[in-house]
Amino acid sequence: MSVLTKSKSTVSANLDWDVLWERYGIATVLLISWALAYLFVPKFSNPDNMLNVIRQSAFVGCAAVGMTMAIISGTFDLSIGSTLAFSAYLGLLVVRQTESVPLGLLTTLAAGMAVGTVNGFLVTRVKIPAFIATLGMLFIVRGLTFIISQGGEPVRFNGKAFTWWGNGSLFGIPTPFLVFILCALVGSFVLSRTAFGRYIFSIGTNPNAAVVAGVPVTNTTTWIFIVVGLFTGISAFLIGSRLYSAGPGLEPGFELNVISAVVLGGTRLAGGRGSMIGTVAACLLYATMGNVLNLLHADAFAQRVAVGLVLLLALSIEGIRQRLFERSSRRISTVKTM
Amino acid sequence: MTENNHRQLLEVQGLTRRFPGVLALNQVDFDVRAGEVHALVGENGAGKSTMINILAGVLQPSGGTVLLDGLPVVFHNPANAQHAGISVIFQEFNLVPHLSVAENIFINRELTRKGMIDWTTMNQRSTSALKRLEIDIDPRVPVSSLSVAQQQLVEIARALAFDARVIVMDEPTAALSEKEVDRLLEIVRSLAKEGVGVIYVSHKLEEVFRVADRVTILRDGTHILTDQASNLDEEKVIYAMVGRALVHGKCPDRNIGEVVLKVKNLDVEDTVRNVSFELRSGEVLGLAGLMGSGATEVVEALFGLRNARAEEIVLQGSTLAIDNPRNAIYSRLGYVPNDRKKAGLLPDLSVKHNISIGILERLRRAFWIDGKKENESAETYRDKLNVRCSSLDQRISNLSGGNQQKVMLSRALAEDCKVLLLAEPTRGVDVGAKAEIYSLIDSLVDSGMAVLLQSSELPEIIRLANRVVVFSSGQSRGEITGSNLTQESVMALATRV
Amino acid sequence: MKNTLSKIWKSYNIAVIVFIVAIVLGILSPRFLSLDNLLNVMTNASLVAIVGLGMTLAIASGNFDLSVGATAAFAGCISFSLVPTIGVPASMVAGLAAGAVIGFVNGLIITELRVPAFIATLAMLTIVRGLTLIYTDGKDLYLFGQTNYKVLSGEYLLGIPTPIWLAVGICLLLSFVIGQTRFGRHTLALGSNLPAAKRSGIPTSRVLWIIFSIVGATAALSGMIISSQVLTANGRLATGLELSAIAVVVLGGTPLSGGQASMLGTLLGALLISMINNGLNLLNVPIFYQELTVGVLMLVALAVNINKGFDVRSLIRRHA
Repeated sequence: MSVLTKSKSTVSANLDWDVLWERYGIATVLLISWALAYLFVPKFSNPDNMLNVIRQSAFVGCAAVGMTMAIISGTFDLSIGSTLAFSAYLGLLVVRQTESVPLGLLTTLAAGMAVGTVNGFLVTRVKIPAFIATLGMLFIVRGLTFIISQGGEPVRFNGKAFTWWGNGSLFGIPTPFLVFILCALVGSFVLSRTAFGRYIFSIGTNPNAAVVAGVPVTNTTTWIFIVVGLFTGISAFLIGSRLYSAGPGLEPGFELNVISAVVLGGTRLAGGRGSMIGTVAACLLYATMGNVLNLLHADAFAQRVAVGLVLLLALSIEGIRQRLFERSSRRISTVKTM
Repeated sequence: MTENNHRQLLEVQGLTRRFPGVLALNQVDFDVRAGEVHALVGENGAGKSTMINILAGVLQPSGGTVLLDGLPVVFHNPANAQHAGISVIFQEFNLVPHLSVAENIFINRELTRKGMIDWTTMNQRSTSALKRLEIDIDPRVPVSSLSVAQQQLVEIARALAFDARVIVMDEPTAALSEKEVDRLLEIVRSLAKEGVGVIYVSHKLEEVFRVADRVTILRDGTHILTDQASNLDEEKVIYAMVGRALVHGKCPDRNIGEVVLKVKNLDVEDTVRNVSFELRSGEVLGLAGLMGSGATEVVEALFGLRNARAEEIVLQGSTLAIDNPRNAIYSRLGYVPNDRKKAGLLPDLSVKHNISIGILERLRRAFWIDGKKENESAETYRDKLNVRCSSLDQRISNLSGGNQQKVMLSRALAEDCKVLLLAEPTRGVDVGAKAEIYSLIDSLVDSGMAVLLQSSELPEIIRLANRVVVFSSGQSRGEITGSNLTQESVMALATRV
Repeated sequence: MKNTLSKIWKSYNIAVIVFIVAIVLGILSPRFLSLDNLLNVMTNASLVAIVGLGMTLAIASGNFDLSVGATAAFAGCISFSLVPTIGVPASMVAGLAAGAVIGFVNGLIITELRVPAFIATLAMLTIVRGLTLIYTDGKDLYLFGQTNYKVLSGEYLLGIPTPIWLAVGICLLLSFVIGQTRFGRHTLALGSNLPAAKRSGIPTSRVLWIIFSIVGATAALSGMIISSQVLTANGRLATGLELSAIAVVVLGGTPLSGGQASMLGTLLGALLISMINNGLNLLNVPIFYQELTVGVLMLVALAVNINKGFDVRSLIRRHA
C-alpha cells in the first residue's frame, strides 16, 4: 500500500511538469520570441509596431476565449466563421441605420448567441454530434448571410464612434486588446470560480461521471454554445469596426484559426484541461509571428507555412515527450545466454 | 490431475519490473507446465497485471529472464508472444466489434487467396475452433452482437486457432453469470487436458479451487507461495495474499429507526420485475446477488440512471419520481457507483473538486463559488474518511483505488444525503482501505443514515448488512435477517433460477 | 447481423432519397432530366465524390483529413507546372505522387509525432496551402492548348465524362479493398477498436500511412480534374473541399465514429448534393441557397440517422 502511494506521488511529479507546460509553455515561448525579435528584428521594438501586434491578437482572441471553454468541455464549434460574418453584418447594418453603437453591439451579440442557441439545441436535443452540427451550421449561416446581404454585398459604415472600437486606443493601449483582456479575465474567472466553469471541466474530463455526479450536462452544453456565440459576436464587432465593413466573406478560415490558437495555447481537444493564459499567449504569438515575418519582408505565403509549422511543432512536443517516456520504460532485459 | 511428468512450457526467473517510483515485480519466479491450470492470485497491486503484460509482450522486464521450453526469449511486442504460442485474454477484450467472429479469430492472420480474403476457409476453420469449445456461433456475425460470455469464448477460440500452448486468462469470470462460469471452468479444464498450459488469474478463490492444479500467490510484487491446490485452502491463501489473518464477521447490532424509503413493485427496463422492499434509518439493507441478478440495476434505477416504473416509491413521506441523478441528489439520495473509473471519478479534477461537485449550488456566494467554504468542506471529509493525498488540490487520478473510493463517498456525504446507495463499494480497493470503509459505514449508520448496499461479494454483505434481499434473474428471491444470515443461505437464494 | 442490416439500410436509404429527389426535380424542371444536364450533375458529383471516397477510408479508420483541399491545389499546381517539361501523362502521375506524399507526411505526423489527426491535418492545411502559394508565387498556372490534359475532365469513353468513370471506378476499387483485403479489414479494425487492433499485432502505423497516402492521392486527383476543367491551377483551388468531402461522407451514412464504411453511400451523397445544387440552379434559385441546403441536408440526415446514439463499442465492454 505504501509502495503504491509512493508511486502515485512520483507519477504526479511527472504530471506536474505536464501541467506547467500546458499552462505556461506557450507564454514562455511567447516571451522568448519577443526577446529574440527585440534583439534581432529591426523595427520590432518600435512602440507603434508592438501596439500593432497586440491589437492584431484581439480579433481572433475574443472568439478564442469562448472556444477555449468549449474545447475544455470536450466539444468545439466549427460554425463560428459564418457566425462572425453573420453577426458582424447585422451589427453594422444596425449601426448604420441607427447611428447607435450600443445598439449595434447588442445586435451583434444577440446574433451570435442566437446561432449558439441553435447549435446547442442541435447537439443536446436533436443529439447530432457537435462536429457535424456545427459544420452544417457553418454552411447554413453562411448561406443565410448571403441571403440577408442580398448576394454578398458588404455593408459599410465609418462613423467615428463605431470605428474607434477596432482602431482606437485607450490610454495608449489599443481598444480591441483591452476588450480581449477583459474577455480573457472574465473567461478565466468563470472557468475557475463559478459552478458553470466547474461543470465545463467535469463534462470534458468524464461525461459519464459528470452525469452521475449530478452535473446539469444538457443545460451546460447548450450554454457553452451560447457563450461561444457571444464571444464570437464580440470578435465580430471588433473586426467590423476595424474594417469599417462586413460581408459574407469576412475572415475566411476564421474558425480554424481560432481552434488552432486554442490548441496551440495548451488546451487539448480531448477536454478536461485547459488554460486561458495559454489562449491569450497563443493569440499574441500568432500576431507576433505575422508581424515579424512582415518586417522581415517574408512572403505572405511563407507566413502561412510558418503558422502551420508552429502549431505542428507545439503539438509534437507533447507527442515526442510521450514517446521518450515510453521508450525509457521499455528497456530490454539482458538475456542470460545458456 | 497428475502434473509431475508434464514438462515446463513457460518459466520466469527473477522477473523484475520497475516503473518510476515503484517496483511492480521483484525477483519473481513462476512457471507453468503443459496440461496444468496454474492459478495466479493476489490483491490489486500485487503485480499480476504486470507479469501478464510481460508474458504478452506488451511490457519489457527490467530484469530477470523469460524462458520458453527452457530457452530464454524476449518478446518485443505482442506479435512475438503470439508467435511463440502465448495467448493472453485480457479483461478488456481484444475484440473488434464491427468485424465478424471469424475475422476476430483470425485477426492479423487473415487467410488470403490471391490477395483476397478467403472467407470460406476462415469461416470453416472458425466453426471448427468454436466446435472444440462446444459452442454454436455463426462466424459471420459481427462480434458486437454477441453476449459477453460468447465474446469471451471467441477470444478463447482465437487462442486455440493459433495453437496457443499457454493461455493466460485475466479475471475471466468478472462479467459472467453462474451458469456461464461453470461452462468456462469446464472449458478451462478441458483445455488443460489437451495439453495447454493455462494461467488463471483471479481473486475469486472459490473458482480457483474448483479449477486449479497449482496456486501461486503474489503480494506487493513479490512471490510468496506456490503449492498444489490440494495442499491449500482458502484461509491459507488469503493469509498469504494479505499477510495477516482476515477478520470476517457479521455486522454489529444496529439501532434501526423509521422507514425512510419504501419501494413497491419496481420494474427496471426489461431486466428487473416486481421488486419491493423497505429501508429504515440506521440499517444497512444488502441487495445481494451474483452478476446479472438485477441488484445493480435496482440501485441504478433508484438514482435515475435507468428507465424504471414503480407502483410507489416513497422517500421520507413524499412520493418520488426520479428520472435523473440531479433529481435524485436533490431528493437526498447519495450514490457511489460500482465503476468509479467509468462513471465516478472526474480524473483531471482535484480531490477537492471531486468532493464538491454535487454541492456547488450550496457553496455559492453571489454568482461564484466560496473557495473558503469549499476548502473547509473538503478538509472535513478528508479528515473524517482519512483520505490519503498529498494535498486537496492533487489530481484525483493520482490516488490509490481505496482513497479514490473514499473521495467518492465524501462526495455523497457532502451532499447531505439521507439515503446512501452503495454499489460494490470496495471494488478495486485494497484490504486496509476496505476495513476503513467498513467501519465508516458502521459509524454512518449509527448516526442514523440509511444505507442500501449492493454487492456481489458475500463476505462484504455479511459483514455490513443486517438484512439482505437476494436477487437472481431480475427478481427478488427473499429476505434474510438475523441468525439466518449466512453466506450459504444467501447463496442458496442467489442461485435460484 | 443487425449492423450489416443497418449499414445496407442506410445506403439503401440514400438511394431512395436520390431517386425521389431526381423525380421531384424532373417534374419541377424538365430540363433536369436531359442527358446533357444529368451528365453535368454526375460530373460535378464526381469531383467531390473522388476525394470523399478517400475521406471515407480515413473516417472508417477513426480519423479525419482536413488538408485535402490544400493537397488538391498543391497537386494541381505541381502537375500543371511539370507539363511543359515532362509531358502530360508523366505530370499527371507526378500530381498523384505529390498528393500521396503529402498524405504520407500526414500519416507520419500522426503516428510518429503523436499529433491527433484533426490538428495534424489542420496544420498541414495551412502549410501545404502556403507551399502551393510559394511554389506558384501566388500566380495562376495555365495550360494553353494542352488538350491532352483535358482527358481528365473531357468525354472520351462512350460519351461519358472521365470524372464519372474515375469516381465509379474508385468507388468499386475502394469497396473491394474495404471488403476483401486485409488492409481494408485492418482499416475498419482501427476505427472500431484501436487498442485491440494494436494489441492484436496489426501494424497500425503502416496502415495509417497507407490510408492517408490514399486520401492524398484521391485529393490530388480531384484537384487535377478541377484544374483540367478550366485549364487553370492556382493556390486558391479547392478551398473548402475538405468540409464538402466530410459532408458527403456523412450524408452517405458512414458513421464518424469509425469501424464502418459505405463507399456507395459517399458516392450517392455526392450525387444528392450535386443534384440539388443543379436543381436549384435550374429553378433560378440564387446560388447561395445551395450551401444552405447542403447544411440543412446534413443535419436532417444525422437527425434521422439510425445509428445515432448507438455505440457499438459499448457492446464489447464488460458490465462488471
